[in-house]
Amino acid sequence: MPDRQNGAQSPEQQVRALYEEAESNTAKAFEALVNKPSFGQLLALSAENTAALTRIAFDGVDLLWRNLRLAGRADIVRLSKQLHRNEDKLERVLQEVEKLRDEVTRAREHDREAAAS
Amino acid sequence: MSVVDPFVGAVDRAIRFPVNALEYTNILLTTDDAVVGATQREVVWTHRQTTLYRYRSSDRRYAVPLLLVFALINRPEIFDLRPGSSLVEYLISEGFDVFLVDWGYPDEEDADTGLEEYVCDELDWAVRETLRASGAEELSLMGWCIGATLCAMYCGLDRGVERTAVRNLALLTMPIDGRGGTYANWVGNEDFDVDGVSELWGSVPGGAIDFANKMMKPVTNFWTTYRRLWEGVQEGTARPEAYQSMAKWVADNPPFAGRAWREWIRLMYRDAGLLRGTVRLRGRLVDLRRIDQNVLVITAGADHIAPRPGTMPFFDLIASEDVEHFDRPGGHIGLVAGSAARKELWPGIAEWLAQRSGG
Repeated sequence: MPDRQNGAQSPEQQVRALYEEAESNTAKAFEALVNKPSFGQLLALSAENTAALTRIAFDGVDLLWRNLRLAGRADIVRLSKQLHRNEDKLERVLQEVEKLRDEVTRAREHDREAAAS
Repeated sequence: MSVVDPFVGAVDRAIRFPVNALEYTNILLTTDDAVVGATQREVVWTHRQTTLYRYRSSDRRYAVPLLLVFALINRPEIFDLRPGSSLVEYLISEGFDVFLVDWGYPDEEDADTGLEEYVCDELDWAVRETLRASGAEELSLMGWCIGATLCAMYCGLDRGVERTAVRNLALLTMPIDGRGGTYANWVGNEDFDVDGVSELWGSVPGGAIDFANKMMKPVTNFWTTYRRLWEGVQEGTARPEAYQSMAKWVADNPPFAGRAWREWIRLMYRDAGLLRGTVRLRGRLVDLRRIDQNVLVITAGADHIAPRPGTMPFFDLIASEDVEHFDRPGGHIGLVAGSAARKELWPGIAEWLAQRSGG
């Protein structure tokens, strides 16, 4: 008891400190592990395989869907891309219109000032 | 302390265990209900997936508006995490007219969106719309993570004799050279078929990006966070609103447009093109030596996503005369969005901006 009064830890606190130390060491060990090029290779290969499998699965479902004469993902993507192109053009036209409007406003103000003076 | 105290404590915990377990489960299950990005805002402009928002200050004191730009991964709501812990809320209370670019949720149809679209179109047009909406001739640009790199690229872009409207450039935890980090070990190697993966996926799923981010610190992200929350619940110190808003934000992962992703991997983890001045967007060279704005760079000591050594070369490149560097302890996100940021970092940011946003 006297030890604990002097700031020593209770058994429960000691267990917790030990656990946190173990967890911290495990975390460091895992960080070292994932930092290795071999782990990177593993992750990269897994990503490539997952991407390929996802694509195969999606394409399979899409093929089936489109054979039912229903719009599939590829059709929606194509349409969305066309919409994007239209939106790009509209945006550029809008910017030109705004520029011209600003110019006209400036010119009118200039004329008004000239007439007033 | 008597000898029976530990036993009393154990019995007490055993009795409270079901209640704590219910509270813990409730916090986890209701995370999606957390309020994130609650500050009132209005839509100023939209194009494709991009939206420009404006947060009006009822006490606007500075003529120069502030445009916030977040990364292409995760959502920009981190700038406005939750009431009382929101950088946006803080900045508008300080009198800034704040705008925010939201890159949206790119999908398969955005697979061909590259860094040049983000920098030369979306960001450029967001700057233009910010100026039009605010009536200002110049603005402050504040980027975070990839958003900071995009802002630096925007300011370093060759425009001939034309100048940018950016007066102040604040860059938070910005990666410039990622070749020394864990990411580089994963994707920096030419063996990793970055073109193949991006082509197969179209836009890289947000979940995959999130998984990779979490794998950098697997024990911390997959175990310690939940263990600490449990301890907080047991001890009665858990702050569900703080945990839930951050957890909700972390789990909200938009896809990364395929072309932009593979360009980012090459730029950051293979070529270090920004350091070498070899990056071209729409045929125009991006040269960081062109940056002559007032610059504030903020780095975090414990940043494992954009480690400080990957940012430091930036200082040797830029031409700015007014350069300030805040180097603070903290992580990539926690530095700016953590509970200590309101006292330790935001006032510094606001003061830096205030001194350069008059007239």
